[in-house]
Amino acid sequence: MTQVEKKESSGTAPVPPTPGRTRSRARYLVPAIVTLLLLLIPLARPLIGQPYNYMLQVGIAGLMWVAMSSSWNLIGGFTGYISLGHNVFFGIGGYTAGMLLVYQGLSPFATAPLAGLVAVGFGFLVGLVTLRTRGPSFIISTIALLLMTGLVFDNWDLVGGSNGLSLPLPPFAVESVKIPFYYAMLLIAIGSVYLGYRVAHSKFGLALRAIAQDETKAEVAGIDTRRMKIAAFSLSAFFVGAAGAIWGYSLSYLRPTIFFIIGVAAQMVLMVIIGGRGTVAGPAVGAILLVTLNEVAITQFGSSELNIVVTGVILLVVLLFFPLGVVGTLRDRGRLPSFLDWD
Amino acid sequence: MTHFIQVLILGLLLGGVYALMASGLTLMFGVMRIVNLAHGVFIIGACYVAFFLFRELGWDPFVSLAVTMPLFFLIGLGVYTLLFPRIEGSPRFGEMTVLLTFALALITEGLLSFAFTGTFRSTDPSYATEAIRIGEFFIPTAQFYSSITSVILLIALWAFLYFSRTGYAVRATMQNRTAAQIVGVNVRRVSTISFGIGMALAGASGSLISFLFPFFPARHWQWIAILLALIVLGGLGSLKGAVVGALLLAVAAGLVSDQFGPTWSPMTFFGALFLILLIRPQGLFGHRERVG
Repeated sequence: MTQVEKKESSGTAPVPPTPGRTRSRARYLVPAIVTLLLLLIPLARPLIGQPYNYMLQVGIAGLMWVAMSSSWNLIGGFTGYISLGHNVFFGIGGYTAGMLLVYQGLSPFATAPLAGLVAVGFGFLVGLVTLRTRGPSFIISTIALLLMTGLVFDNWDLVGGSNGLSLPLPPFAVESVKIPFYYAMLLIAIGSVYLGYRVAHSKFGLALRAIAQDETKAEVAGIDTRRMKIAAFSLSAFFVGAAGAIWGYSLSYLRPTIFFIIGVAAQMVLMVIIGGRGTVAGPAVGAILLVTLNEVAITQFGSSELNIVVTGVILLVVLLFFPLGVVGTLRDRGRLPSFLDWD
Repeated sequence: MTHFIQVLILGLLLGGVYALMASGLTLMFGVMRIVNLAHGVFIIGACYVAFFLFRELGWDPFVSLAVTMPLFFLIGLGVYTLLFPRIEGSPRFGEMTVLLTFALALITEGLLSFAFTGTFRSTDPSYATEAIRIGEFFIPTAQFYSSITSVILLIALWAFLYFSRTGYAVRATMQNRTAAQIVGVNVRRVSTISFGIGMALAGASGSLISFLFPFFPARHWQWIAILLALIVLGGLGSLKGAVVGALLLAVAAGLVSDQFGPTWSPMTFFGALFLILLIRPQGLFGHRERVG
């Protein structure tokens, strides 16, 4: 089964098959060690010492971005449909869980999957309309969707309008308050990377890659392209919505400017493109690289309007000179370490 | 009824300006298949040029057209030459243009915010608050002047496209790029010039809206979303569509604003976008994408 898919290329770039490469043990060893370390970090408080909460907070953000970029990759990478409004699902998830907490007293830890499903439902409805077109019209519709949703949330009194909504504080001891958020986000990140892997190695994923390469030919070959696109679009909303639920709760307030600004979408796009569009490991690599870079930049230079300039410049340079991203470029040169090769 | 006609007048006046803003965008798409997400941020950039010419030198925003149009034409030539020839022939050209101009928009927005902060700005020439009364109706002078100027510029664009040799070449390229190349049109040159013209139109729009709509750098997302919605409604790449779409939606937005408050007027554009995608995805004057 995997042999067939190896021949297929993904996203922007043809992926040369890696013939005869023995699946070394390192392929499984490295991810296993990383996962184990990620699981153990919260237990290592005596080792980490003072910056413990800071470390966990960076971890939460990093894992969130891994989930967001891996999810975006389903539609933007595999299927080749750029969504510049994907953070709509982030906000919908955040607000769904937040509202359930404020009005029903349900913990976002329990309702995060539900928030994800609400995002999926919304994505499905939007996809029904916007995926009737191909190419630029779809991208334009995603920008319109983002501004439209932002406008609604800005003026909707029930959800607090532009002032937002304060959430009750989580019922945990102050010194260990970050731990549950960390594990929840870890679960979401693992889930979305695993989803990407499963999609990449399925007939569904094959169909998506066919659409990315040539939609007309895919259709001629008997693929119900519209259904596949809608499925990919809605599926890509799930973990983004769930991540929004946990992220909003961890901030303990919801505000449209946290969720519905195009900068959030820009980050998702950038991470996937840096890591490698349409690859399984790429989005996670891109997310880790950018979160690290961002942390360094903020601690060294402080945060300013120039951050957005840096985001733009990196995007521009990568697009022009390394359009395949880290994973794609390394594979192109035959230098991709086996633990990053999951396509 | 009187009230309705008044709203109609205001809508049509604004529609003229929207048409100018959208014409550059749709020209770029028509000739080069470039979806220029940075169009809005360049309009805002031109607003700042007009603003500083007004504040420092006391130039009227209409006089600043003499600076913004050539300036942005040149910026356009530079941007085109720097970015787009590299990706020409890429199988995913359309998508690349979106991503590249998205990056460009982020960079420009960041630089503008850094240089001019996020404060609301606006030029305020004396006529900005005046109005002409005709019977029961009043026509705000600023809207009137800028609408007239927009129409003049649009007519100039039309005359250029229909009565000049370069204009012929531009239209030939819009119709069929390959065929144009075969009959000897220098497509690269035509594309560069078209991009420059599109940018000059963005520059002109900036001068004209600098006293109509207060601006700050991050405002451009709302503008670009509105303009893109409008050209999708008209049919991507169709100049006629852009003008009709602009007039139609400006009036509709005026009515919505009148009924539900100005907060919701952008909703008209987005609502129209989703509606048109539902019933006629290629837009009012668009053609279905040719297969192949």
